[in-house]
Amino acid sequence: MRNGKMKPENLSRRSVTSRKLSTGCEILDGCLRGGISCDSVTEIVAESGCGKTQLCLQLSLCAQLPISLGGLNGSSLYLHSEFPFPFRRLHQLSHSFHQSNPSIYANHSDNPCDHVFVQNVHSVDHLFDIMPRIDGFVGNSKNRFPLKLIVLDSVAALFRSEFDNTPSDLKKRSSLFFKISGKLKQLANKFDLAVVITNQVTDFVESSDGLSGLRIGNLRYLYSSGRRVVPALGLAWANCVNSRFFISRSDDIIGKDRGEKDESGSSSVSRRAKRRLDIVFSPYLPGNSCEFMITREGICAVQA
Amino acid sequence: MEAWRLPLSSSIRGKLISAGYTSLPSISSISSSDLARDVNITEEEAFEILRLAKQSSGSSSCNGSRSLINGAKNAWDMLHEEDSLPRITTSCSDLDSILGGGISCRDVTEIGGVPGIGKTQIGIQLSVNVQIPRECGGIGGKAIYIDTEGSFMVERALQIAEACVEDMEEYTGYMHKHFQANQVQMKPKDILENIFYFRVCSYTEQIALVNHLDKFISENKDVKVVIVDSITFHFRQDFDDLVQRTRVLSEMALKFMKLAKKFSLAVVLLNQVTTKYTEGSFQLALALGDSWSHSCTNRVILYWNGDERYAYIDKSPSLPSASASYTVTSRGLRNSSSSSKRVKMM
Repeated sequence: MRNGKMKPENLSRRSVTSRKLSTGCEILDGCLRGGISCDSVTEIVAESGCGKTQLCLQLSLCAQLPISLGGLNGSSLYLHSEFPFPFRRLHQLSHSFHQSNPSIYANHSDNPCDHVFVQNVHSVDHLFDIMPRIDGFVGNSKNRFPLKLIVLDSVAALFRSEFDNTPSDLKKRSSLFFKISGKLKQLANKFDLAVVITNQVTDFVESSDGLSGLRIGNLRYLYSSGRRVVPALGLAWANCVNSRFFISRSDDIIGKDRGEKDESGSSSVSRRAKRRLDIVFSPYLPGNSCEFMITREGICAVQA
Repeated sequence: MEAWRLPLSSSIRGKLISAGYTSLPSISSISSSDLARDVNITEEEAFEILRLAKQSSGSSSCNGSRSLINGAKNAWDMLHEEDSLPRITTSCSDLDSILGGGISCRDVTEIGGVPGIGKTQIGIQLSVNVQIPRECGGIGGKAIYIDTEGSFMVERALQIAEACVEDMEEYTGYMHKHFQANQVQMKPKDILENIFYFRVCSYTEQIALVNHLDKFISENKDVKVVIVDSITFHFRQDFDDLVQRTRVLSEMALKFMKLAKKFSLAVVLLNQVTTKYTEGSFQLALALGDSWSHSCTNRVILYWNGDERYAYIDKSPSLPSASASYTVTSRGLRNSSSSSKRVKMM
C-alpha cells in the first residue's frame, strides 16, 4: 500500500476557497460564489431546451481563461451522449469568446475550439472504455492547456434504453452510477478537475409508495414549463453528485420576439424565454436562485 | 473524575478550570486557603469545593472496582462512566437533547439521510465542535475527517470555524467578566489544522486507511472524533463477490467499535439512503443496511418534514425514540426558529 494516503492533508495550507470555474456571466457567478468548483462533481438538471448544453459549451470556453479572470488555464473534454453535437453553436460562441479575449490566442495563433475536445459516448460500456484513456490524456497531452474540465452531456441518455424497470435491472443500473461517479471523482481529485454532468427530467407521476415525490434538497417541487418534474435516474444517482443545480424555463418572454433565426437556421430554442437556475443542494452554497437568458453571445443573467 | 463535573456554579467552575484544577486529585491535595488564593475565590467557596471533591472521590471508591476478573467492570462502574461520558455538541440544542447531550464518545453513531439534508454539515460541525476547549464546556479534542465523496469544502469548514470562535469569545467574555479575561486563544486557522483530513477515492484506500487508524490515533491521542463521509459510497458499486463485501463491511464496523472503546472517542458514520424493494414495494432504507445495521450503537435518520429538517433516533440502547428539528445556517447547524414544540417524543 502506498503511504501517501496515510498522511492527512494540512487543511490550513489549502487556499481559503477551492478553485472555481466562472460561468462567463457575472451574476450567475455571484449566485454560485465564483462558479463551478474543482475537485467536485456538479450536476445540472433541466428539461430539453433549457440551456444546459449552452452552459456546458460556455464553461468549456471559460476554462481557457487565466485564473485571474475566473478560468482554469485549461482545456476541456466534452463527452456527449446526445446527438447531434452542436458544433455550429460551439463555433459561434468560440468566435465571440476569441474576440473578447484576443490576448490568450495572439501569440499562438490558435483558437478556443482547439482546446475543447469533443468525444461522443454511445453507451455506458463505451464510457468505461474511455475513462482510462483520460488518465493518459491528461498526463501526455501536447496541448498547451492541461485538461481542467470534463463535461458529460448527458448521463441520462446513456441509460435511456439499456435497462428495464425491474428491481434487479434497477439495482444493476444503480451500481453503474456509483462506478461512474467514483471514477470521475477520482479523476477530479487527482488532477483538480471540475466535472459537470447534465441530467434530464421526467414528468412527476405519483407512485403508491410515495417515493416518487421524495424531497431531495432545497426545493420541495421542481417545475419547468409549467409542469411538475423530477430529475431522471432517481435517488441512487442523486447520491452520486456533490452539487445539483436545476435549470427551468417559464413561459415568460423577455423583450420582444423579433422572429430571428440563428445561424443554423433553427429557431427551436426560444432564446428569449426566461431561464432560472436553482441550487438544489450543495456542500457549501446556501439555497439561492438566479434568472438568465440565452442570447447569441451566450448566457447572460437578467438583472434582478 | 473531572473537576468540571462537580456541582458548582458555572462561574466558580470556570475559574477553577482556568486556574488549572481540572482533576480531583489536584484539588484534594491542597489546603482551602491556598486554593482560595490561587483561584481568586473566597475561603468559604474553596472549603465548599474541597468538601464536594472529597465527597465525590469517596463515593466513587465506594462503588469502586471490586471486579472478580481483571478488566471486567461491574454495572455500577459502567453506569457511572456512562453518565460522565463526554459528549460533543452539535450546536443545535434540540438535537443535542435527543442525543442525550450530544454525540457520545466511545460510541459508533450512524447518521443517514437523503442528499442535501445536511449530513456533511453535521460532520463538519462535529469536527469543529470537538475542539471546543474545556473552559467553554467542550472536550478540547481533535478530529479525523475521512472524506470518501469529495463533499468537504475548506471554505465551509472555515465559515463554521469562524462562527464557533465568535461564539466561544462571547461565552468566555460572559463567564469570566469578573477577572482578567482569559481570551480564547483559538483562531479559525487553528481549528482547521486540528482536523486530520483524509480523502479516499476507492474502497481499497478506505480499507487501508481504516486499518491504519489504530496506529495513527495512538500517535495522536487527542483525536476524539472520527467522521466518515460517507461510509458506503465506495461499496455501492458492483462487487463480484457480495459475500466478501458483507464481510469487509462487518470487519470495518468492528474496527470502528474497537477504536471507539479503546481510545474513548466518538465514531460518526454518515450514510446514504436507498430505496429497498421489500414485499412488493419500495421503501427507504439506509444503504447496505443488511451488512451494516447490526454494527452501530446508535442510528439517527435525517429527513424532511414539510420545509423543516428533522433528526430521528432510529436505534439506540439507551436513548428513547424522539425527533428534533434543526436548520443549516451560514454559521453551521442551529436550532430551527419555529416556535412550536421542536422535540417530539415518540
